[in-house]
Amino acid sequence: MYPAAAVRLAIGTARNPSRLRYKGTVAVRHRRLTVLMMGIFLLTGVAEVPITPLAPTDGPLRAVGLATACAINSGPEYYAIELVGTNRIPGSGLAHARAEVSVPAASPFVVSLTTDGSYQYDVHVSIARMKNPRRGVLVAWVTTSTLDEVRRIGALDQHFQAVGTASWNKFLVVVTLEDTDDPSAERWTGPVVFRGMSRSGMMHTMVGHGALQQENCAAYGYDD
Amino acid sequence: MHSPTLIASVLVAISVPTIASAQDHRMQGMTLSGGWRMVPMDSSMPMLPGLDGAVPIVGPFMPGMGMDPAMFPEARPSEVVSMKDGDTLSISVSMVRRTIAGHEMVMFGYNGQYPGPLIQAPKDATIIVEVTNDIEMPTTVHWHGIRLDNRFDGVPGVTQEAIETGESFTYEVHIPDAGMFWYHPHVREDVQQDLGLFGNLLVTSPDPEYYGPAHREEVFVLDDMLMDEQGALPWGDRAPTHALMGRFGNVMMVNGQTDYRLSAKRGEVVRFYLTNVANSRTFNVTFGNARVKVVASDVSRFEREQWVPSVVIAPAERYVVDVQFDEPGEVVIANTVQAINHFRGEFYPSVDTLSIVTVSHDTASSQISQAFQTLREHDDVIADINGFRGHFSRAPDYELETTVRVQDLPQSIVLSMEADTLYVPPMEWNDAMPMMNWLSTAEQVTWILKDRKTGAENGEIDWKFNVGDVVKIAIFNTPKSFHPMNHPIHIHGQRFLVLSMDGVQNANLVWKDTAIVPVGSTMEVLVEMSNPGVWMLHCHIAEHLHAGMMFSFTVER
Repeated sequence: MYPAAAVRLAIGTARNPSRLRYKGTVAVRHRRLTVLMMGIFLLTGVAEVPITPLAPTDGPLRAVGLATACAINSGPEYYAIELVGTNRIPGSGLAHARAEVSVPAASPFVVSLTTDGSYQYDVHVSIARMKNPRRGVLVAWVTTSTLDEVRRIGALDQHFQAVGTASWNKFLVVVTLEDTDDPSAERWTGPVVFRGMSRSGMMHTMVGHGALQQENCAAYGYDD
Repeated sequence: MHSPTLIASVLVAISVPTIASAQDHRMQGMTLSGGWRMVPMDSSMPMLPGLDGAVPIVGPFMPGMGMDPAMFPEARPSEVVSMKDGDTLSISVSMVRRTIAGHEMVMFGYNGQYPGPLIQAPKDATIIVEVTNDIEMPTTVHWHGIRLDNRFDGVPGVTQEAIETGESFTYEVHIPDAGMFWYHPHVREDVQQDLGLFGNLLVTSPDPEYYGPAHREEVFVLDDMLMDEQGALPWGDRAPTHALMGRFGNVMMVNGQTDYRLSAKRGEVVRFYLTNVANSRTFNVTFGNARVKVVASDVSRFEREQWVPSVVIAPAERYVVDVQFDEPGEVVIANTVQAINHFRGEFYPSVDTLSIVTVSHDTASSQISQAFQTLREHDDVIADINGFRGHFSRAPDYELETTVRVQDLPQSIVLSMEADTLYVPPMEWNDAMPMMNWLSTAEQVTWILKDRKTGAENGEIDWKFNVGDVVKIAIFNTPKSFHPMNHPIHIHGQRFLVLSMDGVQNANLVWKDTAIVPVGSTMEVLVEMSNPGVWMLHCHIAEHLHAGMMFSFTVER
């Protein structure tokens, strides 16, 4: 059995032979080379791709197995979070990243709340058209908009997917490139590859610039 | 080139009237034209231009308007009425005197009680209820969640004519399911229900172990009322106000009381029967640090008991939860939500005390306390649901979409709403825009249930089924409307399962009669058409119902 991502990567390359520049070097990939690589994989059964095993459960968060990740649910389209790339990592330039939020299946209610009344979501992170980084591990995180609290969702699996939970009403989803897959990490240390904000980040604020108002917010006691 | 002084003078001249009015409108209780009073609102909230002094286009209604409350008998707390098969209960719908938050008011009551009598009856019994209307408007009684004979469902113009003032109607209520149900009017619920017309019907199972052991049981009817310093804010006379978001109250009540208190022994397990009778508010009920186990909902127990951090209960829903109070001291039962301040674009914690439980150092019997630690699985519920699993994965038979249409609202409301819909929350936990909401009436707002396959809306929808049909309905609450909002959807006379939310399969099923659809979500329900007749499907936010969000379907034998 060969890692699916390796095969998919190879097939994807075969379909889109491209010239990619990585840190001053030029990588030329050709259909012939790809077929040759696949042949090597098939003959040797060895696939040297930097795939990291799935992360174990991390506190209140959870990473899921491959089967669950493949059967990812969409969540309401309206609350899906488009993740914007930083273009700092080779192989991410053409990728499309997204986080979808849904009510945890375990909730007996149609909305799931914490004891402080915040929404509790399953967060499904997925990246399409992503190339495996040459080194390191892609890890998904959720954090408050002020970055004062960070929770690790987990390493992205072979399909560039990860599932965890968020229990804030406004939050950021961040995908970073870490040196290693460390389930005990409390914060990212590597470069941000993708990031996006929950839909609630678009909540309109009328403080000081209400849609139909002229006066400053100080008129309403908002002086902070 | 203008001088800075001139510019400053102009700016002051422009800003003063607006700032002044923004302060003036905070004078809550201020009498406005037509007998209206200013709606209570956050004093820091700015007023939209053109809304100073604005009032709803309908007139105000207060029960017994102009009459001395002392003319009416003082209402008393709910009393338990135990009934057997064939027993008869007379219920008078009458005007009563109530005191809420220090204000003496004329309200309505069933048999002069708040809530109405707590009827206890065994499963499979038929009880007779003779209802006499002694209030100043027509009424009916709807037996919410009970799969009874269609003739007694209490829907005016569908199953009966409304009971006019001074007239009576006799209901024969056959009760096929155990659990907690409730009864309320189906005429101007926004007024009559808000004024106190609601009561519970607790149906007992012949199985003594239907629920797990508990030291005792408590009925909690959750409600809110919109009040200012003069009392309840008037309702709309010919149509409801608050048609956009429903009428959120600012005074919370349990069993009609603002200071409901309980006491418990250490380790005591209390079974709470929760019913939400509020017009629009969905509660998130928290029990301090006490451990909470959800056991049952509208029409059955869950497949499996489950620990929960809180209980999210939408209008008309019921939940049965067991709670253990294991630490001496006070436990605050609260509505704990993150409310929205639209003007600051932020969430903020909002906690309203519903009740306080004083837990003593005396220890309750340990046998029940120990049994509480076990989560029971209900084999009979699972076996019942197993008969329907073959339908779970098939495509929906019908697709409904919820949306809204408005006409003739003040222009500043329309502009502001359109500008403010970059983000719409899944649920509205508070009335974040009291003035705009209050000014919107059911004559200007039409809430819509749309059949996505035919395009038919509300009363145009004409679904026909046969007894025994199992129907899958997908309900999509579109976020792309003038004012998206959550909708608690109630189906009369039948029971249904919530199979999934946005494709996520429900892992612990329970039979329901009401379930809320958050904004942007698609909820798939499986309805067992077991009961012949003409039945309603509608939103249970009272103001949305009266703004059109309903239709009837037929189940033939």
